[in-house]
Amino acid sequence: MIRPRTFKTLLILAAAVAAWELIVRLGLISAIILAAPSDIALAAAKDGFVFARALATTLFEIGTAILIAWTLGVGLGILLGSSHAWAAAAAPVLSSLFAIPLIIIYPLLMAWLGIGALSKIVFGVLSGFFPIALNTIDGVRAVEQRYIVFARSVGATPLQTHARIIFPLALPAIVSGLRVGTGLVVIGVVVTEMLASLGGVGFLISYHRTLFDTGHVYFGMLLALLVAVGVNLALTRLDRRVGSWREQEEA
Amino acid sequence: MPIIEVTSLAKDFRTGGAVVHALADVSFLVEEGRFVTLVGPSGCGKSTLLQILAGLISATRGEVRIAGEPIRAPMPDKIGMVFQDPTLLPWKTALANVEFPLDLRGIDRATRRKRCSELLKLVGLGEFADNYPHELSGGMRQRVAIARGLAPDPRLMLMDEPFAALDEQTRTRMGHDLLEIWEKTRKTVFFITHSLTEAIYLSETVLVMSARPGRILDTIPIEFPRPRELDLIGTERFGRIRNRIWHLIADTPK
Amino acid sequence: MRAALLGYVIFAVIILGGWELIARLDLVDPDLLPPFSQVCAILWQFMHDPRFTADLGVTAGEVGVAFLIAAPLAVSSGFLLGERLLLAQTFNPVVHFILAVPQSIFLPVFILAFGIGFLEKVLFGITHAYFVILVNSFAAVRSIPHPLIAVARVFGATPAQIYTRIYLPAMLPLVLTGLRIGMVLCIIGVLLAEMYASRSGIGRRIFGWGESAQIPELLAGIMLVSILTIAVNETMRLAELHVGRFYRRTSIA
Repeated sequence: MIRPRTFKTLLILAAAVAAWELIVRLGLISAIILAAPSDIALAAAKDGFVFARALATTLFEIGTAILIAWTLGVGLGILLGSSHAWAAAAAPVLSSLFAIPLIIIYPLLMAWLGIGALSKIVFGVLSGFFPIALNTIDGVRAVEQRYIVFARSVGATPLQTHARIIFPLALPAIVSGLRVGTGLVVIGVVVTEMLASLGGVGFLISYHRTLFDTGHVYFGMLLALLVAVGVNLALTRLDRRVGSWREQEEA
Repeated sequence: MPIIEVTSLAKDFRTGGAVVHALADVSFLVEEGRFVTLVGPSGCGKSTLLQILAGLISATRGEVRIAGEPIRAPMPDKIGMVFQDPTLLPWKTALANVEFPLDLRGIDRATRRKRCSELLKLVGLGEFADNYPHELSGGMRQRVAIARGLAPDPRLMLMDEPFAALDEQTRTRMGHDLLEIWEKTRKTVFFITHSLTEAIYLSETVLVMSARPGRILDTIPIEFPRPRELDLIGTERFGRIRNRIWHLIADTPK
Repeated sequence: MRAALLGYVIFAVIILGGWELIARLDLVDPDLLPPFSQVCAILWQFMHDPRFTADLGVTAGEVGVAFLIAAPLAVSSGFLLGERLLLAQTFNPVVHFILAVPQSIFLPVFILAFGIGFLEKVLFGITHAYFVILVNSFAAVRSIPHPLIAVARVFGATPAQIYTRIYLPAMLPLVLTGLRIGMVLCIIGVLLAEMYASRSGIGRRIFGWGESAQIPELLAGIMLVSILTIAVNETMRLAELHVGRFYRRTSIA
């Protein structure tokens, strides 16, 4: 019924959870610092609905930011990557700017856009944009000249060349950038919610921290982690599928 | 009407400050339906000439006419190309790759499929229509590239050292099979190579090009009857022609 | 090389010049976007304000301490794991899990455990830097080509010679890259912690300005932090390049 390996993993997980519960119950670690699994479950039971609504807000912000970041990042990346001059000039600048701790810009967004969903979405877009654009530029520039020559020889229009030859060839690099960038979008949204917000999972985490409701804090963190891990898994799967023919080609 | 007419063609490249004379005063004709090879030492400008014939780059001086029209840009309907690297699209199957030029032109699926399946059978890959390039050997990929070149039913096939990247045995076999394909389709083929053996075996006219700046040293008719078997290569007559061409290239002062 | 320089110049002219123009021409509300020159002036004033420089010092101190603790720990752990593969196999899934998880989310736990002082921020910074440096150092050890070591042994090289002439030159580039990324992450971590809950530090100041929408000061602060982090990043990148070139000349490889 259940595969032996899955059963073994489940057993280990169950043991870990049990140990975790014990560690807190026995006072080895204060319940204020580490919430016991039972505390988390209690928080879920008590305020599950509130958290669900917050999760919806967070997911909305993340989703919107992802859409915009992907479009802007890939679009600009293809444009810049297609021109040798622009790419050579833009890439180092983008790469240097990448070092700026983006979080320090959030207070500016707060001042300009308030602490509602908009500032979170904009921050999310900024977080994801750079890796997506940089990877896209790399991917487009890496397309070998022979494909471009081939495209011309069969009479492909510039649009056809970009859409049907360059874009698919650059796709593994683009998806790689999407994977990194999207992860940063998720973190960016949640962290800014934690800093200053009216709603969302991050907000609830901060709110309950000030009340020392550690169970609620950990429940919120768990939800945030699930979103981050879920997004990462989905994109890793996409990355693997897209990259497979590339790797085999190079083999 | 000759399908290729080249008159006093010259090509110069400007790199940095210096000027490189790749081709100098090249003139020749190719009649329709012929298999013509161009042979010359490395760097003599063979590929440059082919790119000009294909409309990929422009000439500095002189005139090039393909099927009577001066060529300035690629003519994908009239000219099919096969490069040294098959340059297949890795995410498409063999059949989809062959269909690609027709797909770009908006030809409907049923017509494409029928025509391209036939072409794959012609090149001996009928069973591999649904395989991906990474599943095929180098020789097989080049066959797909040939089928793809034939897809728009061009009048002229330009081939730029298509077998240079293959090992010798595969290369010899491919040459033989290419002749079979040619017998069936009777396209005009302009084939570039640096292998004298290949040049003589495949064609009925060998254009011999000098080292850079390239010009045509001689036009050698090859009168072996067709179909040609591979053991033709070991005959004395073959060897004499080969020696003649070899000396022509080697003894010409630069 | 020239293209990169041109890129920076274009950026400076378009973005900064554009900023100045837009603000001066009143195209945007000057309260929302004060001119670049005004922001620079404010920044200049800040650098002479002892309270401001004190906060800057606090942040620099937290980053410095966190990095100086994390870096040696992480590099040595990385080397240890690289040498003892059995240990590596045990810890590999743990490390990868931690790296996959966004560490910033755990800030509230740090505060619950350690309060909101110097210690908490340093610890937070340490966790940000540690794992990246660890992974890179581990990779650095694994990247040494084994045939190289075998050849050295055959030629009678002592362990010390093997370490300095073969290991070090091969490992240094990767380790330095790890240190650079670790430093950037450390700065991010410390700033975040200060912005979130702190009584001192430049992050706290900037966040405060954001809350009260004091935009000129805000822009000045952001500019300063940006310049400093870019400077740190580029300096470390230069060191990477320089060392890479130097060691390539002196190593046996």
